[in-house]
Amino acid sequence: MKSKGFKLFMVAVAIIIGLIFILPIVWMLLTSFKTDQEAFTAGLKWLPKVFTVENYQYAFSGNGDTPVLQWMGNSLFVGIVGTLIVLTVDTLAAYGLARLDVPFKKALVSLFIGSLMIPWVITFLPLYMEFSKAGLLDTYAVLILPYSANAFGVFLLYQYFRNFPKELEEAAFLDGANKWQVFVKVVLPSARPVIWTLAIFTFMGIYNDFLWPLVTTSSLDMRTITTGIAVMQQGSFVSSPAKLMALTSIATIPAVLLFIVGQRSFIKGVNQTGIK
Amino acid sequence: MNRTSWKSKLTSSLFVLPYLILFTVFLFIPIVYGAWMSLHNWDLLNPVHEFVGFKNYAKIFDSNSYLNNLFFDGLKNTLQFVVYSVPLLVVVGLALALLVNSLPNRLKGFFRTVYFIPYAVSVSVVAIIWLWLLDTNSGLINQYLPKLGLEAIPWLTDMPWAWVSLVLATLWWTIGFNMVIFINALNDVSEELYEAGSLDGANRWQRFWHITLPSIKPTMLFVLITSTIASFNIYGQPFLMTRGGPGSSTKVLLMNIVDEAFDQRQLGNAAAMSLMMALIMIVISIVQFKVTKNKED
Repeated sequence: MKSKGFKLFMVAVAIIIGLIFILPIVWMLLTSFKTDQEAFTAGLKWLPKVFTVENYQYAFSGNGDTPVLQWMGNSLFVGIVGTLIVLTVDTLAAYGLARLDVPFKKALVSLFIGSLMIPWVITFLPLYMEFSKAGLLDTYAVLILPYSANAFGVFLLYQYFRNFPKELEEAAFLDGANKWQVFVKVVLPSARPVIWTLAIFTFMGIYNDFLWPLVTTSSLDMRTITTGIAVMQQGSFVSSPAKLMALTSIATIPAVLLFIVGQRSFIKGVNQTGIK
Repeated sequence: MNRTSWKSKLTSSLFVLPYLILFTVFLFIPIVYGAWMSLHNWDLLNPVHEFVGFKNYAKIFDSNSYLNNLFFDGLKNTLQFVVYSVPLLVVVGLALALLVNSLPNRLKGFFRTVYFIPYAVSVSVVAIIWLWLLDTNSGLINQYLPKLGLEAIPWLTDMPWAWVSLVLATLWWTIGFNMVIFINALNDVSEELYEAGSLDGANRWQRFWHITLPSIKPTMLFVLITSTIASFNIYGQPFLMTRGGPGSSTKVLLMNIVDEAFDQRQLGNAAAMSLMMALIMIVISIVQFKVTKNKED
């Protein structure tokens, strides 16, 4: 059906488009090894004239204004703890609503699913005021807790649990297991792919969020990597492209490597959960 | 059985309770609280908040009030970004998915990963990379243009180039996600339909138009609505790349809301603006849903 010429043409197109996606990242990495002066001067030189690691030394030296490791740590901590909270409360709630005799079940399901319609911007300022009044601005709490209210995971898992065959649970109940044991030993292991997908979605969402951590943190040490870089870009690194690129490279390399490893399960999960 | 039923209901409720508490504290109460804030003259520095009814909303619609400009200028800019970016996010996403699917099996996974990689980069890194690629004087792209016999372009400082730059950076960053969703949908289209189409003598284009497109319609709707919502919430790209400029022509609604809340400290006004923005987003989602559904009948 498909001629060889057509396939070759498609591969050529794919390579050219692939370069558009990859070259900006390559260029960022190469610039990070230039001096600021060289990065500024106009020219088409991709490779640094003088190869230097001083931008990285500066970024890691922790001389006060770029605690980049602290920022990375914050982002990882906030992302991981936030994801664990979401996974715990969402699996519990979804299973309860899908299978157990929870009072007002129908009303709760409609309430949660209905909340998915509500744009995030509605809760932005009142949430800020809540945390401000509780004295929790510029803490890990404000960077983690708001993400836990999102009903997306409850909805995703609810649909999965409803289609899960009842026989396995019934067999466990007959063996004398209680609800909690059935949930932990029978239901959770079966839902692993969906849970994994939700984990990646949630982690990426928290890790990449920008506006919320930008307005709710103020001290240098509480910044996430995304907001820390933004603050540097608008502040003391505004005319230091090479230093800036070292900073962005440090932030990007681990994320991209993790992503390349994780994306297979992510795509498989998208398949299984039927997000379409 | 009946005797233990209340007990069973109680233990079952405990499964839902943790999420219900978080939902109440971080979603339900903020919604009510936000509506309450929007009915007050809420100065962040003043502990007393005077109740003003719907006056903040009236100001948004009063052409003599600065709030009117702030809201509708911002809305106009946000809508421009939505109109420029969403069709591309959907069409280019689908085109990339078709491209990847047409490749030999061994190469599919590789190119899917390559196109998906920028999605792992955070918005501030995206902004910085493109800021320096597009810089008018020392940016890489403007270094190449004269070699191709073209003039340098003021990418970030002139119209309409500022929009082109923001849309370009956004496409580069997020298109991989839509592509993955589309690849999934394409793989689910049944082979039998294509075989029947081939037997009927349909060519590649006809098969795409009459078999592929109708089969992936629900996915199109999903991608359309999620892309529209994401584009409506745009903040980081103009905040970091154009700072709302040139002038205030890329100053999007969310930037104006943040300014009103944290620079002017008028949280009542900003809350009213947020609610109006949300209302518009909900209406647009419903319209998109209805229009696409009706076409199916």
